Amino acid sequence: MSTITQVSLRRRLTSSTAVVLMGIAVAAALVPLISLLWTVISRGVRRFDLAFVTQSMRGIVGAGGGASHAIAGSLLITGAATLMCVPLGVLAAVYMTEYGRGLPVRVITFLVDVMTGIPSIVVGLFAYAVASLFFGPGIRSGLVASGALVLLMLPVVIRSSEEMLRMVPLDLREASYALGAPRWRTIASVVLPTALPGITSGALLGVARIVGETAPLLLVAGFTDSMNGNLLDGRMATLPVFIYSQWQNQGADASAYSNRAWTAALVLVLFVLALNIAAKAAIRLTQRHKGQS
Amino acid sequence: MKKDTTTNSTTSIFIRFATASAAALAMAASLVGCATNETQDTQPPSTTISSASGQTSAAALSGTLNAGGASSQTAAQEAWRADFQNANPQVTVNYDPTGSGTGVTNFINGGYALAGTDTAIASDAAKGPFAACAPTSGLVEVPAYISPIAIGFNLPDIASLKLDPASLAGIFTGAITTWDDPAITAQNPGVTLPSTKITAVHRGDKSGTTANFTDYLAQTGPAAWTFGSVEMWPQSLQGESADKTQGVREVLASTVGAIGYLDASQATAMGIASIKVGSSYVAPSAAGAAATVGASQQESGRGSSDIVIKLDRTSTDPSTYPLVLISYLVACEQYSDTAQGQLVKAYLDYVVSAQGQQAAASNAGSAPTTGDTTLDAKIRAAIASVH
Repeated sequence: MSTITQVSLRRRLTSSTAVVLMGIAVAAALVPLISLLWTVISRGVRRFDLAFVTQSMRGIVGAGGGASHAIAGSLLITGAATLMCVPLGVLAAVYMTEYGRGLPVRVITFLVDVMTGIPSIVVGLFAYAVASLFFGPGIRSGLVASGALVLLMLPVVIRSSEEMLRMVPLDLREASYALGAPRWRTIASVVLPTALPGITSGALLGVARIVGETAPLLLVAGFTDSMNGNLLDGRMATLPVFIYSQWQNQGADASAYSNRAWTAALVLVLFVLALNIAAKAAIRLTQRHKGQS
Repeated sequence: MKKDTTTNSTTSIFIRFATASAAALAMAASLVGCATNETQDTQPPSTTISSASGQTSAAALSGTLNAGGASSQTAAQEAWRADFQNANPQVTVNYDPTGSGTGVTNFINGGYALAGTDTAIASDAAKGPFAACAPTSGLVEVPAYISPIAIGFNLPDIASLKLDPASLAGIFTGAITTWDDPAITAQNPGVTLPSTKITAVHRGDKSGTTANFTDYLAQTGPAAWTFGSVEMWPQSLQGESADKTQGVREVLASTVGAIGYLDASQATAMGIASIKVGSSYVAPSAAGAAATVGASQQESGRGSSDIVIKLDRTSTDPSTYPLVLISYLVACEQYSDTAQGQLVKAYLDYVVSAQGQQAAASNAGSAPTTGDTTLDAKIRAAIASVH
């Protein structure tokens, strides 16, 4: 120990320069984030009231109104997308980790990687093109929007579930086989429950990924001022499209529109924040779980 | 013991996940269908729509009307939809401000039952066919929104300026580059103009406002403006490009020395130019816009329900403001779906009624079409043919 106390001046200088540079880098990374949060919060609180979450924009001209229809639409569309996506993604991951061998798995992995990079506007156009083949041009439906979001969410869910399933120790599987459990039983009763918190966290991050998507929703869910609880029929407002439309189509009293847009952005940020916290909590559950066993 | 802990925690995870999902779903379900401002169908309508055609209470109407097109109509459509939906709680009217071109395309292929457009449908396209209409149906096209276009600018402490068509053309073509250019100062004696560089803002997207502004320059200042009347701003010209009316407004608000054209309803908190008509200078006003439309002729060679006005912007009468935008609503004469036809007819009846035009005037600063009685009668006759 005592030999290291004599550090040359050059080394100490290099060290402190590096520390300073890293500090600057951290600050540079934090400044935009904090500034963004501050802007959204300071402008969003102006309309962050009860009316905003209980009223829609139906029959509202100028100030007032709210985004309850957009909040409900976002929840319904992302909820339906999650219901479709999670079973599909988890089953795909189970195939890739437990059953698949060699080429098919490599092909699926490659395709999933490609899917991750597809721009959301392309997915939206694809969903619109397919839906308009069956239902005619101008189709607007919440369920078609969910379908488009499934395509965006699926790679996230597959990859995270796959990672989580691979992390399940082989010993557990072997123990299960040793007790005479068949393969499906091992997967359903041992592997999946062990990986569940991780899978949940991946699914929540997938939801956080799609809840702010605008392009596909703009194309296939459209926009309306009124509450629509039917995923199968008609336009459905969502938070990102609500923000876009309030910002883009301001009336004579512009501040009423931009304030609504900022508040909707704040609601969206809070929603994503809640999802991320939930995902972290799920991961923590896994770790505690491991610590016990 | 160990096994028990594992099972318990696994079960508790399951329970937590299930509880969380159930809570989220319950929240979504409780939110849906209970926006406090939306009246449910049991409540009687607060107002009934009375129209010239003697339509009885429209409370029996129900259904959804999807319309879209010209973004210039956005503020007016907002007022119309709000009033119409309040009067008819079971009706939902949507208007997508996608721009005139998309609106007309979607009307032709059946995506919209009603389209708004700043440039009248071309005569040959007006013959049809239209996907939402009955096979033999004609076209109904009526002026629904008449609005002055303002020339807004951002110069500290200067609220109004006088500009003639030649200097406007000079500014927007880049021939005049500073605010103290003699061409501007000569028209504005007594105003101290700074030597600030001029930033001419134009619409980057295809726009009815651009079409009407360039048409104004083409009709009034042919020598300085050689680009004709175009919906898309000429690419060879310099200047700042902005997306939609909102974009122009933002550039005008943030850039000292900027000048741009935009719907007068959106030109708030900025300097407004008066433009030269005859020998005097006129500021944008709804009355001036209406006078320009009144002095113009209807375009010939179209069907009786296809009312298109050929704007004459060369008037020297100082009561007219020639920089005017007319936005049309396009509908079928006969819809293949009769219920849809009734809904469109009721909506159009409201839009062109004195009440509807007044609502647009107060929310969007437009000139009521009802001001011109001959035009008003023609519009009502055209809408009466919708079924």
